[in-house]
Amino acid sequence: MDLWRYEVRRAGWAALLTPPVATAALVLVALLDGGADTDRTTARNLIAALEMAMPLAAGVGAASLVGRDPAVELQLTVPTSYRSTLLRRLVVTLGWAALLAVLVVAGLAATGWWERWPGTHGVVAGQLVWLSPTLCLGGLGFLAGAAFRGPAAAGGLITTLWLLDQVLASALQEQYWQRLLYLFATTRGAVPGDWAANRFTLLVAALAFGAVAWLLLGRGERLLRGEAE
Amino acid sequence: MRIEIARLTKTYKGKVPALDGLDLTVPTGMFGLLGANGAGKTTLMRILAGLLRPTGGEVRIGGHDVTTGSGRQAVQRVLGYLPQDLGVYPDLSAREFLDYIGLLKGIDDRATRRRRVGELLEVVALTADADRRLRGYSGGMRRRVGIAQALLADPRLLIVDEPTAGLDPEERIRFRTLLSQLAGERTVLLSTHIVDDIAQTCRELAVLAKGRLVFRGTVDDLTRRAEGRVWSVVTAGPAPVGGTVVSALPAEGGGLRYRVVAQSPPTPDAEPLAPTLEDGYLALAQGRPAPAVPAR
Amino acid sequence: MSAAFRYEFLMQVRKRSMWVAYGVIVLLLGLLSFRTLGDVLHDPVAKETVASIAFLVNLILPVGYGCFLADRLVRDDRLGVAAVLDATPASTAGRLAGKYLGACAAAAIPLAIVHFGFAGLYAAVAGRPVALGWAVALFAVVIVPALLFVGAFALVVPLFVPAPLFRVLFVGYWFWGNAIYPGSMPTLSQSLVSPIGGYPLQVMFGYPGGDVEIAGPVPGALLNFLRPEATTATAWLSIGVLLALAALVLSAAPALRARTTR
Repeated sequence: MDLWRYEVRRAGWAALLTPPVATAALVLVALLDGGADTDRTTARNLIAALEMAMPLAAGVGAASLVGRDPAVELQLTVPTSYRSTLLRRLVVTLGWAALLAVLVVAGLAATGWWERWPGTHGVVAGQLVWLSPTLCLGGLGFLAGAAFRGPAAAGGLITTLWLLDQVLASALQEQYWQRLLYLFATTRGAVPGDWAANRFTLLVAALAFGAVAWLLLGRGERLLRGEAE
Repeated sequence: MRIEIARLTKTYKGKVPALDGLDLTVPTGMFGLLGANGAGKTTLMRILAGLLRPTGGEVRIGGHDVTTGSGRQAVQRVLGYLPQDLGVYPDLSAREFLDYIGLLKGIDDRATRRRRVGELLEVVALTADADRRLRGYSGGMRRRVGIAQALLADPRLLIVDEPTAGLDPEERIRFRTLLSQLAGERTVLLSTHIVDDIAQTCRELAVLAKGRLVFRGTVDDLTRRAEGRVWSVVTAGPAPVGGTVVSALPAEGGGLRYRVVAQSPPTPDAEPLAPTLEDGYLALAQGRPAPAVPAR
Repeated sequence: MSAAFRYEFLMQVRKRSMWVAYGVIVLLLGLLSFRTLGDVLHDPVAKETVASIAFLVNLILPVGYGCFLADRLVRDDRLGVAAVLDATPASTAGRLAGKYLGACAAAAIPLAIVHFGFAGLYAAVAGRPVALGWAVALFAVVIVPALLFVGAFALVVPLFVPAPLFRVLFVGYWFWGNAIYPGSMPTLSQSLVSPIGGYPLQVMFGYPGGDVEIAGPVPGALLNFLRPEATTATAWLSIGVLLALAALVLSAAPALRARTTR
């Protein structure tokens, strides 16, 4: 337990502030939407805020875990493996985002907004609204961090992917395989029937990314070298 | 814990080998590792500490094969490592930093850990500043924190890389004394380019140059290499040539008194001097390529 | 200033991670627009074609660009380099300008390669060498102001906000301030302060053409006072506004650095 407290400190202000600030910003944008003339649209916007903010915050947070540790040389010589330490920090980052997301869903459900958008599939299965894209982008961020050993490059990749999913929404859903990987399928999905398959695919992708990241982090020598120069 | 190294090679991608066929045995006790910058000392330290994997060769520490994951883990459980550039977390205090490292080293019991941290803070004389953030620490204080963390889990193998760089004379002496007291049943590997540190604490040493072993023996052996080769020359003119100038101090009556290590007297009126370890090291450097050192 | 420029430029250009990340992004973009690429390359109208390439480049790539730059100043301070440089006689303002321009120039190179690369490919395939001339004009008037704008914020904001938080807010802002239709909610897009360069693109290069507008007032939208009619004058004004804001943000840098360096 003590070790976890230290790893929380290592994850730092960035991991703590980013999910709530990102979510609050998007909720604000959702509420400002003048074109939301129906409750349904407002509900969709609020849920979109969750579906879009959490994965972004998680992805960029995960991308920032590797490459900025001043004591990495020492960390690589202690019996506790460094990649398990990094995994702990990842769990802290994603766990905090998850906790907030659950609270937001609870809040939206309690105020009746959650049911007003049919794409959410209830409160239990509806956790996949945020869980799938958050784990997917979080896993990818962790992988990018492990590959680049630099938060700047890894973060750049994650944010660009997020932007592509926003800007090219229709183009990115023309084919089935593309729809399976679309991050915002609940609120901007082209074919609602593909939702369950999409959420499942994103989870599988998350596991795959995590596994590759785990392998990459096994060689201490790479981490010692620092950012891919 | 004995360290047995055979045919150790480490090459970084596309570069000259950092270690080139190194054979070395390190017994229990204080052992010095001397060499210029770039000689391969840090690479060797890192391989022994399990940070780097060798490109070739065998390394056994206390019987564990360090080229395997389990061997490395076994060694790291009894290892204390002080790297050349010790990075710390500036937002933690010394006490918190040591507590964190203690947790990473597997000291799970909070009471034991806190007690150990307190003891070590005393040993390195940092108790008064223990709760200040590391951000405000001087280089010497950080180094002392580094020593404390290395000793946390009561290691049987202590690897210290350039530990006294940046310490003032008093701190350096205190540190050397501490290391000597620790040696006993432990193996302490002290890597440095400050010859005096080794002269004052080690009985045996090895000298590395360009990734190869060029000397392995006692401190006395290396010192004796300079026997009959150390001279004192007083002159107001240019420095004497034909040898290595160790020091130049103002001489009474004008001019400079040069201490020179050379095969033959650099000037007719040169006075012979008793050699020190540093002289021996320089004599060794002069004499290279050295004859092959028999593996022990 | 030129010493700071060179140092910063080399530091950033040598980062392999930046090149690989850009490479992955460009690869993705290429894969996504693969099918339309064939049509684009045979379009006979050079000006609008190259403008559409510039639009895409300026929409997507500055996000990565901003993220790469996000912790340059902070990193220098953390690595203690700032102290060494501060001891030199060069003026702080000159050094900051050199750092800024050097880092931005280095991070902009992959972007330029994509932009000019596509323009060159088009020029070759469609046989319209004038496209390269348009590419230069577009780069100077549309892309460079955007990069200078983003660069200023990317270097300065992380001085008081953790870099990862900046990256998140930045991409959110980028989407909101460039791509959201002003009729649907209050947004800065299609205004003078929109870094994607809607005004010059529309007025000077005829993009997107037809009835579609990417700059100028939108009926029923808020903040229309920031959206004057799209004319040559307002196009130049929008470029000026972006550069002025960049300069303003940079001017806050020394004060912020003094505060954060302990």
